[in-house]
Amino acid sequence: MSFEIDVQAFEGTDPVYDIASEVFAAMIDGEPGFVRPWEGAPPAPVDELFAWVDVTGPMNGRVLLSTETTTAVEVTRALLGLAPDEPVVHADIVDALGEVANVVGGNVKSLGPDHSVLTLPEVTKERPTTEGGLLHTLSLDWRGRLLVLSLWMLP
Amino acid sequence: MKVLVADDSRVMRQIVIRTLRQAGYDWWEISEAPDGAAALEMVASTHPDFVLSDWNMPEMTGIELLRALRAQGSDVPFAFVTSEGSPEMRKQAEAAGALFLIAKPFTAEIFRETIDPFLE
Repeated sequence: MSFEIDVQAFEGTDPVYDIASEVFAAMIDGEPGFVRPWEGAPPAPVDELFAWVDVTGPMNGRVLLSTETTTAVEVTRALLGLAPDEPVVHADIVDALGEVANVVGGNVKSLGPDHSVLTLPEVTKERPTTEGGLLHTLSLDWRGRLLVLSLWMLP
Repeated sequence: MKVLVADDSRVMRQIVIRTLRQAGYDWWEISEAPDGAAALEMVASTHPDFVLSDWNMPEMTGIELLRALRAQGSDVPFAFVTSEGSPEMRKQAEAAGALFLIAKPFTAEIFRETIDPFLE
């Protein structure tokens, strides 16, 4: 069975956007209002990082977060409550971006049927395979920086 | 009060500990475990008063940790902080003997509202 979420059931709102807003407000910014849908065509990203979790079982899908490394550094700084001039180590950037994908993925999984399993997050500089087809994509503006959340079917 | 926080993400452990402090539990003596297997050893060696654990971890998951503790006869108070809060998981957590399950993302207020009743 493919990864199916009945978006119509949410009365026109985007449940993925609602989840992302909540994650950023609670964990990253400490208050709501700093993340919104990207207006217009998003710019072509450079030096990207990709973080994802898979949902397997009655439904099989991938929740993928992509952003530029410079944005991942700022997300990490915010998550750890670091000052602007404090150094950020690569292991923490990987950890932080993976956790954001993990929390978003866990909440997306909760929208689907029971008995599914969430994998541990993975983070790479190379785009992971997304052969099964795109289900949903959402470009987010976080403090003027682009993050893209997408849901994919797994073959 | 000695508290053990188990999560395979160092960043998430820092966020959990920071949020516990913000919630007013700055008097807790907190130690950290990077997965369920390490947490199982630390419970045996350090005898915490409370374990706050992630669910999805390598080596040993949080639910496996809880079941292993109970199988060993440990009745240490145990709760989950996890990215999934489905009714199915809450049921599993309760059946295994967890006090509560807090779903990520969380706030200091949610920590206070959930944890305080168990401290009275």
